[in-house]
Amino acid sequence: MDLLTVHGVSKQFGVRAVLHQVGFRVQQGEVLGLIGPNGAGKTTLFECLAGLSPDDGGKVGFRQQTLPAARRKEALFYLPDGIAPWAAQSVQWALGFFEKLYAGPIKAATLAAELKLEHLLASRIGSLSKGERKRLLLALGLLTPQPLLMLDEPFDGLDLRQTREVMALLRQHAEGGRTLMLSIHQLNDAARVCDRLVLLSEGCVVGEGSIDELRELAKLKDGGLEEIFLALT
Amino acid sequence: MHSLKLLSLLIAKEWRELTASRAYWLLLVLIGPLVGNSFIAAVNLYAEASGIGGGAAALAQGLTPLDGILVPTFGAYELALTLLFPFVAIRLIAAEKESGAWKLALQLPTGLSLTIAAKMTALLAGWLLAWLPGVVAVVLWKSYGGHLYAPESWNLLLGHWLRMLLGSGVAMAAAALAESAASAAILTLSFTLGTWALDFIAAGRGGWPAEIAAYTPVAALRWFEQGLLRLNTVAVMAVITLLGFALTALWMQAGKKLSARLLHTLAAVVVAAAAIWLSSSARASWDVSENRRNSFPRADEQALRQIREPLRITINLAAEDPRLMDYERSILNKLRRVLPRVEAVYAAQSQTGLFEGAGAQDRYGEIWYEFAGRKVMNRSTTVPIVLEQLYEFTGIAPPAAVEEPAFPGYPLAVHPKSAKLIFYVLWPPVALLTWWFVRRKRR
Repeated sequence: MDLLTVHGVSKQFGVRAVLHQVGFRVQQGEVLGLIGPNGAGKTTLFECLAGLSPDDGGKVGFRQQTLPAARRKEALFYLPDGIAPWAAQSVQWALGFFEKLYAGPIKAATLAAELKLEHLLASRIGSLSKGERKRLLLALGLLTPQPLLMLDEPFDGLDLRQTREVMALLRQHAEGGRTLMLSIHQLNDAARVCDRLVLLSEGCVVGEGSIDELRELAKLKDGGLEEIFLALT
Repeated sequence: MHSLKLLSLLIAKEWRELTASRAYWLLLVLIGPLVGNSFIAAVNLYAEASGIGGGAAALAQGLTPLDGILVPTFGAYELALTLLFPFVAIRLIAAEKESGAWKLALQLPTGLSLTIAAKMTALLAGWLLAWLPGVVAVVLWKSYGGHLYAPESWNLLLGHWLRMLLGSGVAMAAAALAESAASAAILTLSFTLGTWALDFIAAGRGGWPAEIAAYTPVAALRWFEQGLLRLNTVAVMAVITLLGFALTALWMQAGKKLSARLLHTLAAVVVAAAAIWLSSSARASWDVSENRRNSFPRADEQALRQIREPLRITINLAAEDPRLMDYERSILNKLRRVLPRVEAVYAAQSQTGLFEGAGAQDRYGEIWYEFAGRKVMNRSTTVPIVLEQLYEFTGIAPPAAVEEPAFPGYPLAVHPKSAKLIFYVLWPPVALLTWWFVRRKRR
């Protein structure tokens, strides 16, 4: 069942078209990967879908109903990459703030344990390393209750072990019924964690589907995501 | 979740952010000595005027704690509001924009209006804390045996609070409009400098620039400092403040195109301009000063209220002529409070009155009163003379002379005991220690 449908989303910065008639579907409970080279428009697409940035056309539907930009936050939560919010506050405060704000079923303490943040609870957010901050942000995202969680580069800054642990955690949440959409530039990571993929190149969707479906689209007999990516972009 | 609970969560968050800000603690550290310096200088000057040095004391009637103590003491807050407070207000918006926290904040279940309300509440609470030195100064003054008249004191405090709200609105709007905190600071200071320039131009020219300049933050505060509560001043300050918050909301909103933001900004400015124009025509005012400095004697006011037709006053005095200032303060402003329609025309062309054009030079110093198609000229800026002329001219019987109780004045020849210790020695380390304690507690 489609949770989110995107039709013809376009976006221009001045004369430069960053997104051109982008369309795809997000299915309930899946982990959908958005992959594409640098500058493909992944972050811009996320910001448009989240309603943070105005698009220049297109429609977004949620459970077969049109979802205007002002109401997107009811259906989805977008966790941007590279942000460093509330630097002077502690990790514990940030987790507690989101927990109290959303009062969802998932507890901050559980996520802190799963994301190995327990020893950092008293630390100021501004003093965290990139990877630690990423884990905190992931915890904040997972504390939100929206059916769809969009994560921009969720593994950026994480080491191999942490990446695998976070992947397992995300899969666990997806199995629990949450739908995830991840923007990933590491193709190996994307292949490992995602059920389906959307390939974005120069602002256009050049492929959508499982790896097998994309391989067929790329007219390849074998090969992994890297080969498919190179063939389609 | 109930919106009240959401709001309380947001306020707690904003309060944490405010008290995590170095700019805020710097403001707190500095405000004590600033207020203390103003208070100590004021008390010393007041004591000198009251004859503490053994010399001749000033006329007791001229010694009012409002002018002598409260206005200069709280004047330190005006300085802080102009030079320190904008950075505190800007940070609440700019830090979230720059760190990316705003992208999260926009997606929270709280609406934008709640978020801005929470920021404003935190700022108000922060400013309340910054008022501790002012409160201490008032307590000290009372402990010296000083007199305070509650209505004029509260009125002054109201003026300062409205000024703070206006400053917050401007600073937050600047932070929303600008890309960075530095640009926002420049925008805010430009606004302040602009209002100073307007004040300066108005002082040099009078007329309509002076009408507009009556609502700059400094000029608006001056009315409160004179013990006058004017509905139009309060309303205009409120409108400018609301415009600031509206612009903040418009420019912090998610998913709006630049053209839409510009259009909405234009609409908000037009609506605010109309509201300011309407508000400025409100004539209601209350003289809350103890010595009724903004009013004619009660019997005269009652008599003057019989004048229902418009009174046009053409003043041939230049803007920098002290007689004009005297006339405005002691006659014109009081007439405006009593008569429903007073139109003042500033006819002088030069700034000083020394270089009026041919013909105009002969008329310089004349003040023409026009009423019901008749005109009369008078050169006086003295209340009894002008009132006598007005009664005769309008055909209203002058009131019988009633002896009103004279303002006694409150001389007080005391030294500012303990003030230096409190404001210079104790306050800064206490503020610094509190800062350290707050930071430590959060770890």
